[in-house]
Amino acid sequence: MLPLVVNQLGKSYGSHQVVRDLTFTASPGRVTGFLGPNGAGKSTTMKILLDLAAADHGTARIGDRRYRDLPDPARTVGVVLEPDAFHPGRSGRNHLRVLADISGFSLQRIDEVLELVGLTDAAHRRVGAYSLGMRQRLCLAAALLGDPPVLVLDEPGNGLDPQGIHDLRAVLRDRAAQGHTIFVSSHLLAEVELLADDLVVVDKGRLVTSGALDDLKQAAVMVRSPRAEDLAVRLVAAGGAVETGDAPETLTVRGLTTDLIGDLAHNAGIALHELASGAGSLEEMFLRWTGDEAQATSRRSRLIPTAVTTRKEVVS
Amino acid sequence: MRWIRKVRSELRKLTTTKMPFAFLGVIVLLAAVTGAAVIWGTDMDGSKGFIATAADQRSLMAFAGNAMMGAALFGAVAVAREFGHGTVVPTFLASPRRASTVTAQVVAVLLAGALLSIIGAILIVGSVAIALQFTEYGFLVSTGGVVRVIVASSLTGAAGGAFGAGIGALIRNVGGAVTVVVGLLFISPPMLIQLVPESVEWIPSSLAWSISGVLTEPGVPAAIAAVALWALVPVLAGLTVTLRRDVV
Repeated sequence: MLPLVVNQLGKSYGSHQVVRDLTFTASPGRVTGFLGPNGAGKSTTMKILLDLAAADHGTARIGDRRYRDLPDPARTVGVVLEPDAFHPGRSGRNHLRVLADISGFSLQRIDEVLELVGLTDAAHRRVGAYSLGMRQRLCLAAALLGDPPVLVLDEPGNGLDPQGIHDLRAVLRDRAAQGHTIFVSSHLLAEVELLADDLVVVDKGRLVTSGALDDLKQAAVMVRSPRAEDLAVRLVAAGGAVETGDAPETLTVRGLTTDLIGDLAHNAGIALHELASGAGSLEEMFLRWTGDEAQATSRRSRLIPTAVTTRKEVVS
Repeated sequence: MRWIRKVRSELRKLTTTKMPFAFLGVIVLLAAVTGAAVIWGTDMDGSKGFIATAADQRSLMAFAGNAMMGAALFGAVAVAREFGHGTVVPTFLASPRRASTVTAQVVAVLLAGALLSIIGAILIVGSVAIALQFTEYGFLVSTGGVVRVIVASSLTGAAGGAFGAGIGALIRNVGGAVTVVVGLLFISPPMLIQLVPESVEWIPSSLAWSISGVLTEPGVPAAIAAVALWALVPVLAGLTVTLRRDVV
């Protein structure tokens, strides 16, 4: 049971700060989705975790060890990182044999993982002739060679067809159920929503939010009322953070429970046409989390009342 | 045991692409050209003085200088392309102790450089021996002389491979690494001799000829030590940079 523990991690390239005091944990037995817009610092964080890049400060450990101190890294952590990290003239099987040689895996194990990712028939072909999806399958095969209890995957669904994505999801869910630690970065938010138990969201190198996906989804309340503006003022006064939606009568409220909002509306004589917990889809939440920095700051402290904002402002 | 596995993995990297066969092709071509030169070539005066004595023939067969240059190019391409193709990433993931991984890489390229150079020397010797049958001269080099030519090629080839591997790790770009190898081993030595005439004995081609027995100065031990030093400096530089720099 090996958690991934990132603590106060920082990394700059020149004057550009890529990762800023990042702290989070990815737990065993859970699939943790690692989300953020392009340039948010996800890949850099993964590279530091895997000792491919050095942190300026802070630590990133697998269990209680740095990656380089693991006694048998390939049997501990499986990695999908660079989708094109192949020699184009080498066959898929030989690519795996090179890796198997280093770690002492058998030829039988190579056949097993090729079968698992559906590449047996193409294994003898040179990788340069592979499609993106086939290269991604080969990456997954390499990651699974050592049957590791930890998987660190950067965009593992890239280029996979629907069946491939379905199979990948099944493999990852199965491994998480066995107590493995699965840490997945992806831009396919709908896929993450189906796959992840926990989320770590970063933007501009900073942690925006983290926690169980279900909790994050329940952390907001959707309200629809013909007097939404009046209600919004009262909700802010009561300590809630309120955003108006695309429809003028719709509000998203954070920091207040459905009971409290219902009572408050009732006491003010404001009719409610809808009152439901839930922050919307992961895509909607992601767009709110990774809006401009001022908005992100207000969202991080969602229990602190702020001004009423519109979702259009957040998105823009 | 684990380190031997790393060397085996690096050797497999080298043997599962077409690059060694491309270098072998160049060696075969060189041997053919040398044989053709023996049959049809002449000196400026129209004579065949360049194959008239045992010393002349040994000089013609002394492949060690070419071996060092060729193996250095081989090593530079082999290591720099690892970074270019990104295959260094899975390597360092499977084996994150960079010092031992880079050392295994250098050893593999060194062995490959030595092997290619031995093959090159044997092909050149064979080519000259066959070509001499079509001239009025016999094969005059002693067995000991032939063995020395081949051993010298293996030593300089090994050193060249290590030299190239070090440059490849330092530059991390195939084009840049090849350019630096050519600059250091081919272009800069004549310039160095112009600036410091005493350095003539210590440039790679002179050292290779000394080990092959074509030149007498510097002595063989000193020449071997100097060739090793030529290889060691870029290897240490490449290793230091690899330890300090981010992989990607």
